[in-house]
Amino acid sequence: MSRLTIAIPSKGRLKEQTEAWLASIGHPLRQIGGERGYTAEIDGLDAEVRLLSAREIAQGLIEGSLHFGVTGEDLLHDLAPDGPEDFRVLRRLGFGGADVVVAVPQAWFDVDMMSDLEAAGAAFRKSHGRRLRVATKYLRLTRRYFAQKSVGEYRLVESAGATEAAPSTGSADVIVDITTTGATLKANGLKVLRDGVILQSEAAFTQSVRASFTGEARAVADTLVGAFSKSDHKF
Amino acid sequence: MNHDALVAVARAVFEAAGGTPIDPDYVLPTDIPLELSGEAVRARLCVFTDNRGAEMAMRPDLTLPVAQREAARLEAGPSAKTYTYAARAFRLPAAPDDPFEFTQVGLERFGYAADPAADAELFALVHRAVEACGVSPKAIVTGDLAIFPAFIDALDLPPVTSDLLKRAFRQEGGVRAVLDAASRPLDTDVLAALDAPDAQVALGAVLTARDVPLVGARSLAEIIGGLRARRAAIEAGGLPDAARAALLALREVDCPLSDAPATLSALAKTYGLTSADAALGAFASRVEKIFGLVPGARRTAEFRAGFGRRFTYYDGFVFEVLADGLASTQPVAAGGRYDGLIAGLSGARVSATGIGGVVRPDRMVRVRRTGA
Repeated sequence: MSRLTIAIPSKGRLKEQTEAWLASIGHPLRQIGGERGYTAEIDGLDAEVRLLSAREIAQGLIEGSLHFGVTGEDLLHDLAPDGPEDFRVLRRLGFGGADVVVAVPQAWFDVDMMSDLEAAGAAFRKSHGRRLRVATKYLRLTRRYFAQKSVGEYRLVESAGATEAAPSTGSADVIVDITTTGATLKANGLKVLRDGVILQSEAAFTQSVRASFTGEARAVADTLVGAFSKSDHKF
Repeated sequence: MNHDALVAVARAVFEAAGGTPIDPDYVLPTDIPLELSGEAVRARLCVFTDNRGAEMAMRPDLTLPVAQREAARLEAGPSAKTYTYAARAFRLPAAPDDPFEFTQVGLERFGYAADPAADAELFALVHRAVEACGVSPKAIVTGDLAIFPAFIDALDLPPVTSDLLKRAFRQEGGVRAVLDAASRPLDTDVLAALDAPDAQVALGAVLTARDVPLVGARSLAEIIGGLRARRAAIEAGGLPDAARAALLALREVDCPLSDAPATLSALAKTYGLTSADAALGAFASRVEKIFGLVPGARRTAEFRAGFGRRFTYYDGFVFEVLADGLASTQPVAAGGRYDGLIAGLSGARVSATGIGGVVRPDRMVRVRRTGA
């Protein structure tokens, strides 16, 4: 892997905004094979460009199979086994913003903070003979945050999608999910705990700490980092 | 001696103490360790999914599957029993030089009197197994998970507060996080509902008025229980300063085991905690018996009040044996008391005292290789 490898989100808003950012720093993206192709070139950079899902990009940066990539901080923090030292955010891009939050049913008037959730979890276990269930796709983030807040009385349930519906369908009682306006949570009868914001995430241009930057890749990396350091373009 | 020779030596020590050899199930439903110990243990569990989608785990130690089998046996009627094993356990590595699978050689006793003599004997047996393998302990770290609860009870706090503190002691953020949490006022409509003739109906009316659905498995009665507990905590006005100081002082105790009885008694005396005397008496008696059976422990053993609080199912005496050349997170032997485990595993259908200890031949091989 001596050639520099950069990954860009393969679809949706995140892709469009990433393209706009690249153009703004003077290195527009050109997709090969039209809109449906999965490789591309970046003007003025001798680099291999891959179009991948945001999750694959976060994983690749952490493993070191990619040098640079644009992906969500939520995914980076969740997939990193050792936490923030597993990747290096070079620039937060100001788009793709969302909070990862702990939410419980609004009807739980007795639970406003994580410490209340701990007490509710202990009482629940006593009366139900099982632990309170927390649905999420952010397994590591949740485990770390709950430990930090001294909440141990829970079980994780991995959620593949529509996490906010888990309490009303009965598959879990609490959720950890991403939210922008909170409207979806509210529509599902949920509220965010007062100290329940785990992470304020946005899209980030990120460098791998495990990928090796040798010779040619080093030079191209310097060009790219130089380009966005010079640009003051604010999204 | 190579690994297998150390296994044989340690095994002979445990078998000489009497006990039935056992090699229980390798695979457990993930529910067993997770419901018992919480999500904190998941990071070390080797987990997979069976053909129907149920989550299963390779046994992370031998205590759990042995206790599981013992709980089933006890359904037929109570009787005491000792088991020994030399068997593989499986854990996701926490450090780069940790193995995925390793052999534990150990012993578990169920249903015998839970007293200082039994604790000291188990400790001496594990210590003997380590020495028989040609390893001399550099340090022995001990703790007692019954001391903190005994102090809390002696403080005579409202039940909500003492329950909270006992749980907090076992969590990562610990007691300080709980002590620092300010009490917050409750919603006035909700408070009024608590005092209505039928609190459930009244709280249901608040939900309807605010168009809030009742989702999830917690019932109105449980929410009312939580609200009453919070109100009681607010009325109790938090933790008195003396109680707070006593707990923070206890948390800091870290001394040679030989000094521990006097240090703990002095603390209890300073704060007037006379009802902790029984627990402290048992503690002192255990220390004396340990030194009687293992004189060398006078030099090597330490006591830390917070030690073992994250060993999820242990609830009394706990210890780890450390040796030269290995990190403090890599003990060559460990053990302790878990009198609540059988009840926890059987949904309280049966209960029995429990105590056990293991040695790690794979780590002792490394100690011997470094020439210590």
